[in-house]
Amino acid sequence: MTTQITPPQRRKFLFILLGGMGALLGAASAWPLFRFLSPLAAKGGGKQVTIPRSEVAPGKAHFFQFHGKPAVVLQPSPGKFVALSAVCTHLGCIVAWQEQAGEFQCPCHGGRFSAEGQVLGGPPPKPLESFAVELDGDQLKVG
Amino acid sequence: MQPIKWLVDFIDVRLGIRDIYERELHGYLLPRNVNVWYTLGAVLMALFGLQIVTGILLLMFYVPDSEKAFSSVQYIVNEVPFGWLFRMLHAVGANVIMIALLMHMLSVMFMGSYKGRREFTWLTGFTVFNLTLGLCLTGYLLPWSQLSFWATTVATDAAGAIPVVGDYLVEFLRGGPTVDNQTLGRFFALHVVGLPLILLGLVGVHLFCVKRRGISVPPFGTAYHTSEELPFFEHEKHPDGIPFFPNYFVKDAAVICFFIAFLLAIIFYAPAMFFPEAAFEKADPFLTPAHIKPEWYFLWAYQTLKIFPSKIIGLGVQVVFMTFLALLPFIDRSPERRPAKRPLFVTCYVLGILLFVAISIWGHYS
Repeated sequence: MTTQITPPQRRKFLFILLGGMGALLGAASAWPLFRFLSPLAAKGGGKQVTIPRSEVAPGKAHFFQFHGKPAVVLQPSPGKFVALSAVCTHLGCIVAWQEQAGEFQCPCHGGRFSAEGQVLGGPPPKPLESFAVELDGDQLKVG
Repeated sequence: MQPIKWLVDFIDVRLGIRDIYERELHGYLLPRNVNVWYTLGAVLMALFGLQIVTGILLLMFYVPDSEKAFSSVQYIVNEVPFGWLFRMLHAVGANVIMIALLMHMLSVMFMGSYKGRREFTWLTGFTVFNLTLGLCLTGYLLPWSQLSFWATTVATDAAGAIPVVGDYLVEFLRGGPTVDNQTLGRFFALHVVGLPLILLGLVGVHLFCVKRRGISVPPFGTAYHTSEELPFFEHEKHPDGIPFFPNYFVKDAAVICFFIAFLLAIIFYAPAMFFPEAAFEKADPFLTPAHIKPEWYFLWAYQTLKIFPSKIIGLGVQVVFMTFLALLPFIDRSPERRPAKRPLFVTCYVLGILLFVAISIWGHYS
């Protein structure tokens, strides 16, 4: 006994088959698209950054690029060095060093941080990220 | 035989354009008491058209590279003949579009035109509004000025408030840990191709919804009536109405001219209105300028983030507000559209506008 397959059944089968293949192709193309749009891994990650000590006078701050993001090293008191992320933890603006007040202020939403990066006021939810800094001769090594 | 008539005849026998004209333009009847607020859709289409034309012209000289973008815009403005005009038409035009969009949305809300099974019309229109905000944001970065750079930094950083995936999402939006050449590349692609294509498609769907469902009768005067919601689709006809062409088209054209005049008046008499000092300085990733402010239509969001101590609450308030607006036709189910008969809605409407204006002014001066 042979089973008759009618044209509508054949069309339905083809619709399901092609629809399934289309869905599979769509899903398969999502991963390359996601990877294409994803941020590339930062170069030089984990490496130390060296800054001449002369760039950071007492009471002054020196801004530099650290692992792809703005950072700051300062000498709040003679011989004491602090390295922090310069990115405000509220909405990513760059904090400005106020030498007279001895604190960082964010120009965007008025966040305030101490010289050690602790929140003093305003909307920032957490302190500035701090990095290890050591003095090696006349060079400061951050990271 | 007159040459124009000959040409129309030539096309008509091949494509039946007289039939299209009769059906879609002259035979397309609008309510007899249709008012000037109904022209804002046509105004917006004209302004979007102007953005496309000026955008294409600017693309001929603009260089999407963080080292060259700022100088290429300076070159367009200062060296290219009439470059200043096309740049101003594009940048100021974006602001005028936002004004027209807000007026369109507010007039639809006031007249309850989202009612009567027009949820899809409202939703597509609201999505167009949000896409336009996206176009403004992505276009804002392209001149690579201090204003561009820091407005984009703050806007993209806001996504970091989303739990778990926030930090990754920020990097994904920027294409790296900070706003840089990668960000410029993806914002450029979105601004000139991605978002305009989606916008054009959505405007098409919006127009389809408007045409298919039928224009709502303004809720004023004796012509107003509430229609019973039938369990099947019904096109709202206006058999005693006025033809769209030429009757209402002339009104559309007049209001379009008014908006173009308004745009040109800003360009010629108040060119600095939308350009603070930071718009003329090249982006410096190490220096956030003092008192940096977003564009006027983002000031409410900026100030909301300042008011609430927690970023997630500030963002949450904005999401709740926008979701409420998006779902308005599903929340406000009463068939009544006359403002005088909707005291609660009108009170919330007026207070909402006052709150928006007050928070924006607060944001501007804070």
